[in-house]
Amino acid sequence: MNEERREFIKKTSIGFLAGIGASSGFFLNFLMEKTDASLWAGKSIAGTIRWGMLIDMRQCIDGCQKCVDACRLAHNVPDFGNATHQIEWLQKSPYREVFPTSGEDFAGQERIGKSVPSLCNHCADPPCASACPTQATFKRFDGIVALDYHRCTGCRTCMASCPYGAISFNWREPRHAIKALNESYPTRETGVVEKCNFCSERLLKGKLPACVEACPEKTLTFGNLNDPKSEIRLLLEKNQTMQRKPELGTLPSVFYII
Amino acid sequence: MKITKRNVVIGLLIIFALVALRVLWPTAKAEKIASPTARATPIDSTVCIAPTEYMRSHHMQILNEWRNTGARDSRPYVTADGKKFQKSLDTCLGCHSNNTYFCISCHQYANAKPTCWNCHLSPLDKP
Repeated sequence: MNEERREFIKKTSIGFLAGIGASSGFFLNFLMEKTDASLWAGKSIAGTIRWGMLIDMRQCIDGCQKCVDACRLAHNVPDFGNATHQIEWLQKSPYREVFPTSGEDFAGQERIGKSVPSLCNHCADPPCASACPTQATFKRFDGIVALDYHRCTGCRTCMASCPYGAISFNWREPRHAIKALNESYPTRETGVVEKCNFCSERLLKGKLPACVEACPEKTLTFGNLNDPKSEIRLLLEKNQTMQRKPELGTLPSVFYII
Repeated sequence: MKITKRNVVIGLLIIFALVALRVLWPTAKAEKIASPTARATPIDSTVCIAPTEYMRSHHMQILNEWRNTGARDSRPYVTADGKKFQKSLDTCLGCHSNNTYFCISCHQYANAKPTCWNCHLSPLDKP
């Protein structure tokens, strides 16, 4: 092989590599997808908001429905009076229905005999938002899994994908079934789904969710999970808490103390 | 150490690796979320968002845009003169529900059938 040719190829390839190396600092940033460090750092990002709720069952009164009633009134949730058409944003369900996979089949009645408030978990990785074909269900900037009723086509894919059964469908015209009409909140119409919105309309006004405000005990604690100094984070640090079906990896924002 | 061609190549490779590392290093800046407090705008219903003539001819376009973006993008609507409004039908109804027939009288005359009142409570629905 010609010695000059060999030298030429060596030098040009070194020059090429050096060229890429030097110029990468200038323009490769635009060509590459940004990597979010938070993906490695766990789910808690300081300085941002992720609303969450802690339900302390030690303080919940058996048979009390004040949170459920407050939610119904705040959001004009209809009451059809039959299980097929029933619409629930927040309800008190039997313990075994709320925690079916917690491995407590043979626990004592004082533990599994309770009726536990269950609502949308506002998952950090919501399967309903992934399933929605029109992106009517989506995750908001503050961690709330919101529903844009204007976009909902009523396909009910979200209901099928939600492992907590937190979404209800309006089979019938809901306005007639509202017991007490709240004028400050819209109703829904036939053919759309609905679920808990963590009272985003009240948060906008700086108020706590209706259920938290209505609770006569300190059962419900609402706060920012990303703020290490918030009340909810302090309670989560001090107590042993559980989530619903944590094995599914949906990362619920609703925690329970049993 | 003698400056041989081999050492030069190794040196260049190290520089290249360092630059590549700086470029590919994950940044916390990606998808940074704006402060949530800036998004909350109180409902201001003291003035209209645009002159009456414009609202008469274009309220449907504005309301359509508010409907499409309001739930998703919680930033307020900013008018040409810099006033901020929350994208909500309640912003309009804050004033306009004073007249119970404000919406319906004109819609009925024009045979316009907007779907707003399927869910939102019209001034007529309120007792």
